[in-house]
This record gives sequence, C-alpha cells and structure tokens, in this order.
Amino acid sequence: METLTIKDVRKSYGEIEAVKGINFSVEEGEVFGLIGPNGSGKTTTLRMISTLLRLTTGSITVCGRDVAGEPDDVRKVISYLPEDAGAYKGLTGRSYLKFMAGFFADGEEFEKMVQKGMEIADLGDRIDSKIETYSKGMMRRLLIARAIMPSPKIAIMDEVTSGLDVVNAYEIREIIRGIAQKGVTVLLSSHNMFEVDMLCDRIAMINEGRIVLTGTPAELKEQYGAANLEEVFVRAVKE
Amino acid sequence: MNHLLNLTKKELRELLTPGAVVSVLVMVFLFMGIGSVAGNAVDEATALSKIGIVNGDPSGHWSEFALDFIYEAYGSNASEYIVMLDTPYGNNEEIMKEMIEKGLNTAYGMGPGFTASINAKTQTTIDEYYIFTNNGLLGSAASAVSPLIIQLISQSISKELISTVTDPSAADFILHPIKDPTMQGSPDTRHTYVKGEVYDGVSPAELSAALMSQTMMVPIVIMMIIMVIGTMVISSMGSEKENKTLETLLTMPVRRTTIVSGKLLAAAIVGLVYGMAYMVGMSFYMGGIMGSVGSIDLQDYGLSLGLTDWILIAVMIFLAIFCALGLCMILGAFTKNYKAAQTMMLPISVLAMIPMFITMFTSWGSLPALMQAFLFAIPFSHPMMVMSNLMFGNMTLVLAGIAYLSVFTLVIIFITVKLYKSDILLTGIGQTKAAKTFKAFGVKRRP
Repeated sequence: METLTIKDVRKSYGEIEAVKGINFSVEEGEVFGLIGPNGSGKTTTLRMISTLLRLTTGSITVCGRDVAGEPDDVRKVISYLPEDAGAYKGLTGRSYLKFMAGFFADGEEFEKMVQKGMEIADLGDRIDSKIETYSKGMMRRLLIARAIMPSPKIAIMDEVTSGLDVVNAYEIREIIRGIAQKGVTVLLSSHNMFEVDMLCDRIAMINEGRIVLTGTPAELKEQYGAANLEEVFVRAVKE
Repeated sequence: MNHLLNLTKKELRELLTPGAVVSVLVMVFLFMGIGSVAGNAVDEATALSKIGIVNGDPSGHWSEFALDFIYEAYGSNASEYIVMLDTPYGNNEEIMKEMIEKGLNTAYGMGPGFTASINAKTQTTIDEYYIFTNNGLLGSAASAVSPLIIQLISQSISKELISTVTDPSAADFILHPIKDPTMQGSPDTRHTYVKGEVYDGVSPAELSAALMSQTMMVPIVIMMIIMVIGTMVISSMGSEKENKTLETLLTMPVRRTTIVSGKLLAAAIVGLVYGMAYMVGMSFYMGGIMGSVGSIDLQDYGLSLGLTDWILIAVMIFLAIFCALGLCMILGAFTKNYKAAQTMMLPISVLAMIPMFITMFTSWGSLPALMQAFLFAIPFSHPMMVMSNLMFGNMTLVLAGIAYLSVFTLVIIFITVKLYKSDILLTGIGQTKAAKTFKAFGVKRRP
C-alpha cells in the first residue's frame, strides 16, 4: 500500500523552477532515500510533502490525503525533521517533548507519548537540563524523539545525521531502523551514501529538479556496475 | 591592500545595506515631518491672535488709557485683531458665548470701578477670559503670556502715575496699579470656559500643564510597549527561523490561525504586563517632574475619567498592542534570522513616534484635514489621544478609533495567517512577486 504518492510535481520560485515534474511513490513501512547534489530540489520536495511549501503544479498524497487540499489532515500523520533543526533553547528537554506532545494528545495518552519520547531520546538526567546546554548529538536525539513519539505514519528526515560523530550517527540510524521495523514509513535525504545504502530499501536520485534514478541500492549498483552508491551518485550526476 | 582599509570596506559593505540606508532616510523624513507640524504649531501659537475687550468703564480715563496702550501695541492690525465685546462686564457666561460666536479664545475685561480705583490709589484688576480648547503643548501659549500683557499695561499706567502722584505712601500702588493675577491671594480674575462651564481662578496654561501631567505618559508608555514587545516578536520570529523551530511548528497538526493567535495573545499579555509596570513607573516619574506645575485637580474642572472611560482606554491600548504585534509578525515573516530582525523594527518605531510627537506638540482639533487623516490611519495614534478625547467628550473620535482598530486588527490577523500559509515564511521575499517589484525599483535582495 502506498503511503506517499508524488505525481508530476513542479515547484517554481519566481522564474526559477526548482522541481521539474517529479514522480515517485513510497510504500508503507519502507525506508526511502531521496538523494541528490546540493540545490537539486531535495529539501524543496521534502518541504512540499510536509505542507510547508505550496506546489506549483501536480499532486502529493500522504496516506490518501491531498497535501494541497487537506494540509491540516496531512500534518496529523507526518513528522518532519528539518536539516539542522533546533529546539527552543530556553526549555528543558522534558518541557520541549511535553510542548510538542501537547499537539497530538492529552491525558494519559499524552503522558505515554512524553514517556516514549524520553525513552527514545535516552538523555538520562540531562532530560531536565536546558536545551541550550545540549551537545549537537543530544539535540539531535531529542529532535528524533520528538519526531517519532507521536507514532507518525510517515517520518520525513532531512540530513538527519549531518555533522554528528560516528557514535551518535550510528545510534540515530539504529533508531530509524527500529521505527521502520515497527511499520513507520521513512523518507530521508542524506549526502552520506554509506548511510543511504545501509538504511534505505529504495532510493530516488534527484538532479536539477528531475528524478534521474530510482531503485534499490543493489539494483542501482548493478545498473552502474559500481562498488558503492557513492560511485553511482557521481556517475549519475555527471551523465 | 592595507588591512585596515580592507576590513573597513568589508564592514561598511555589511553595515550599509539597502535596509540601513532606507532606515536613515526614513528617519530624516520623519523628523522633517514632525518639525513641520511642530513648526506650524509654534507659528500658530506665536502669531498675532484676535482678542476681545469688555470695557465696563467706558468713559473712564484709565480704561481708555489701557485701551490706547493695547491698540498702540497692535499697531496697524488693531482694527482687525481687537474686538470690542457687546456683553456687559460681570456676565461671564454671556461674555464666553459671545467670544465663541466671534471666534475669540482670549479676552480682557475692565470693571466699572477701574478708573475710580486707580484715582483712589487702590490696586485694581483686569479680568482675563479664555475659551479652553485642548490644543497640546503650544495651544495654551496665549494664556501663558497674558500676565505679561497685564504687567505691561500696569507699567504704562505706572509711568503716568509717577508724573502726577507725589504721595510717598502710595509708592507700592504706583509701581503696581494692577494686581498680578498669578500672585497668591489675587482675586479670581481669570475665567476659563471648559466644556460648557465657566471656571474662575484658572487659566488654560494651568489646565494644559495638569492635563499634560496625566495624559503625556500614555503616548510615551504606548511607544515604549510597542518598541519592546515589537522587538520581542520580530526577534522571536527571526530566532525561530534561524533555529528552524518554525519549520517544525508549522508541520504540527494545528491550524495556522491558532499558531498566529497563540503568538499574538502571549505577546499581548506580556505587553499589557509591561504596560502596567511602565504606567506605574511613569506615573511616579511624571508626578515628580510635573507635580509642581500641574498642581490643580482636573476633576474640579470636569476633566476627569470614569470607570467606562478607563475601560475604553484599556480596550484601545489592548487593540493597539494587537495591531503592533500583527504588524511585527508580518515584518517578522520577512526576516531571515535574529540579526536581520533587529532592523525590521524601524517601520514600527516610526509609526509609534509620529503620533507621539504630534500629540505632544499639538492636538487633533488643530490639525489640517490631511494630517488628521494621516494620524487617524496610524493605529497607535488612537490610544495616545484617547485620554484627552475622553476628558473633552470627543466620543465620536474615540468610538471611531475603536472601530478602526478592531478592523485593523482583524485585517492584520488575516494577512498574518495568509502569510503563515504562504511560502514567504520559509523562502522570504526574495522568491516572490514582491521581489520582482523591489527589483524593478533597483532594490537588491539580500543573499
């Protein structure tokens, strides 16, 4: 069953067309990687799916809900984690999770959601420290927890491990793998081809606003006779 | 290249952005505008104005002498500017009515015993009649100079008396044949018409000073609140964008209207708390500096505020805060980060400063129609004028102001919600049709 369907989507910023008619779909429980060079239209695409940017033409459907026509309903089933996202620095980690959980639930369900968030963040006593004192890794764990705790149908993550050390990046990949196993659809963008290869069931490569490749990592490596996705990426961009 | 020169050029390039240059130009034009309004008010205050004369001693030598002195002072303009009133001396209410009919704000009166008193070597008085209109700081200038005019008349009579009276025991009388109305113990020879009533023993200058002590702090406090909470809101928007918390917030399952309303409401509450704190602080401050000047009780002159008035003031301040916040949120939508947010505050500051200065120097009633329309259009003008409007019963302007602010608030919220639903919030003005318009005018967008 398709969780996300993108049909002939275009997005223009004035005279600049950032996305030039893209099509792809993501199945339920799939980890789907959207890769491409800087400025290729990845973030624009993720923002359109997340209801942050309006489509110029085309349609995006999330769990059967139209992004342009039913944005409020779409926001109930998605969770978006922007690249280099931050949190309200004056709050503690716990307060931040409570603030965010308040948009999804109340009563007992709310308490459970916050508890779940704290377990995912796994920050120990530091959950009660001000966010401004967190390291980049701690911050990212908190944000991942925020994104996952409401049990979204689809989690959209832009450069989720960018700038993290090996241990933090590994732990976050494990979290993503864990939620995918529980049936959450994940759409992620990354410049780390190793990470994409490890995590993604399927990949779409976008270049200059157009989808130029789609397939599983294995299919793409075979198609290009490449040893790894990095090689596939470089050759696809240069073609 | 010289390192200092290199660094200075780089810094100048960063500091002298189109926004910064526009800010400086706006400030120049703002002060030119305010200077022009203040200049007009000063010109009006210092211009020769019509005066009325009530002569209750028509055939008396000294009343004729005083009149000659006044006519001589006005020179060739005397026939145009000096109006002899028909109402007999003593009937103050009728005198005031005649003054209003003839468009006079100031009149002087001499009683039937004016000449007889001077002949009997006893001090006499000249009555002053004023129509009090609330015309700001400079509007009461005429009544402030009246004691000087009376003193000059007194001096001219004094010069005459010196040559005719030789009695040394009358020296005090000779030096001051007319009592100084501002001296303690002087009879209530000053009569001021306020809101349909005639009050004795008070001049418009005194009333203005007392009014200023009460109403002046409102514009200052409102301007301070607007600047403080405006900076807070715009900076918060800049910070949310910089930290990308806004992107996260906008993907929450909550209506954009709720996000906008939540931000507005929180900032409005902070604004009210700030406002109350400033009000208390300012009332002590103004009490300290104006206490000796505005020592009269306005309540005695029908210029007080009731509970309904205070509710109307609170409503207006709250609506003005909402307008300011809405405008700040609109401007905040175009800011890219915390630093850029700081310069975005300028248009709001200008909008708050214009009515503050105008209401200080002059009043609504004394402005030309175009300026009135301009002042009315600025939402912050209304709470700045509301106290004096309520005191003087100008309810049409108060209610029109509330209606205007309500509509303005709704429109601003509507625009803000629209902006929150648009791409501008994330992409900035650089990607929109508006950018093309700016480009057409040669304004480059920031990288």
